Amino acid sequence: MGNSSVRWINILFVLAALSGVGVFLVAIGSLVKLVIISALLAYILDPLASFLESRWMGRTAATSVIFIGITGIGALFLFLAVPLLAREIGSLQDMVSSGRANAMITRFESFLQGKLSFLGIQDLDLVAKVHTRMSDTMNWLVSHVFDVVSLLTDLIIVPFIVFFLLKDGRAFKKHLINSLPNRHFEFALNLLYKMEVQLGNYLRGQFLDAIVVGILSTIALRILGIEYYFVFGALAGLANLVPYLGPVAGASLTIIVSLFKTGDIAMAPYIALAFILVKLIDDALIQPLIVAKSVDMHPLVVLLAVIIGGKFFGILGMLLSVPAAGFLKVAIQEGMANYRKYAGRISTQNTL
Amino acid sequence: MDSIWGNIFKPFKKEDDDEIRTILKKIPVFKDLDNRELARVERILHRRTYHPSEIIFSQGDPGFGMYIIESGIVSIVLMPSEHRLAELSEGEFFGELTLLDESPRTASAISRTACKMLCFFQPDLFDLINRDPRLGVKIMFGLARTIGARLKYTNECINALKDLPAVSGAS
Repeated sequence: MGNSSVRWINILFVLAALSGVGVFLVAIGSLVKLVIISALLAYILDPLASFLESRWMGRTAATSVIFIGITGIGALFLFLAVPLLAREIGSLQDMVSSGRANAMITRFESFLQGKLSFLGIQDLDLVAKVHTRMSDTMNWLVSHVFDVVSLLTDLIIVPFIVFFLLKDGRAFKKHLINSLPNRHFEFALNLLYKMEVQLGNYLRGQFLDAIVVGILSTIALRILGIEYYFVFGALAGLANLVPYLGPVAGASLTIIVSLFKTGDIAMAPYIALAFILVKLIDDALIQPLIVAKSVDMHPLVVLLAVIIGGKFFGILGMLLSVPAAGFLKVAIQEGMANYRKYAGRISTQNTL
Repeated sequence: MDSIWGNIFKPFKKEDDDEIRTILKKIPVFKDLDNRELARVERILHRRTYHPSEIIFSQGDPGFGMYIIESGIVSIVLMPSEHRLAELSEGEFFGELTLLDESPRTASAISRTACKMLCFFQPDLFDLINRDPRLGVKIMFGLARTIGARLKYTNECINALKDLPAVSGAS
């Protein structure tokens, strides 16, 4: 059998093995999702554990201290922020269920009919349309609430996995590397390290960025006197994790709700301006300081990643799509660069 | 079950730990380290076994770390002339320059006999420096001293070559 036939058989074998792994991962999809979330959280927390280790603490002790700290912060959040969030969400629901929103829509409809009658706009029936859309959204939310319920159950599993990944991650990685053949293990070790550095920096940067944007948005909305400033500030921070679409969605939602609440369009430009200012501060000051630029991707790639992530895994997929795409990008980039070095060396040897 | 988990999660056995520590103590890079620090280094080492005539790395490969010979004999060969630069055995090490940068390997390393190697890599060194800067400084100082000694030896060789009649006459 010729060399090229052996090579093709090898390639086919690798492809078949990869397909098998893919099918298996899809079959245990929910578990894979949990492991991915845990791994990402472990990446975010890893420097903190290393920092504590550098202060003469063992890895287990460092991991335990981090978990005690997170539990404390979580308890504080439950104690302070959740009642405020619940009150604001309840107030929002009251506003939607009262007739004020309908009145506002009807007023907007008659405004459209009055001003744009020359376009043939007559029977818009916006109230019914908005209600249908809201009922669709509610159905979607209810179907995802089950996701949230299972997520609550998973909240026990995720910290468990994160704890062990954080404590023993280095040993897991070492065993993985040790299982590779001699010829490839040095290259694989370096590739893994580079991907870790880039992905870790990116994730930690995004996480910090989301917190800072959330706090800035909350302050801006509070200054403007927007009623649900805390909910929308927190949402803006969270939405910031989804590039391009997130900030626009956060601002639009705040403007629409404020419009329904007050019935006054005058506030809209101020809210938009506040979000633009926060975005400018984010782009000019926060991003360059804390978000690693190394995983920079073309906006089109980012958008496609977000859409694909959302299509397959919902909101979680949208949040995780960019780091996942970044991980792939670094893997391909580093893999290709090192492959070229190896290939260059092999071809030089062959010609000598 | 116990043995499976033992195999998966236990890097080295106890007797191997002592053996490795004895080897590490002889390496100039780790000369200043106490037992606790040597134990930390041990945990990040990778242990590999090679068959006779197996290529450990080839000249021109991107390099990411140093190899310490636990047992066996390794030849350092310059390609394409296949000129043998050195033959190293137990307790000796090579490739330490790539701990400082990712330069290509300047020669090939081939196992002459069955070999057991301890591998110390740049990513693991960087991680160790982050977690224990004091230990990191000690290792880096040891590394600088080793490279300095090699540079001194190279200078001596160059001077000796200059003193040879043919070279002096040509110049």
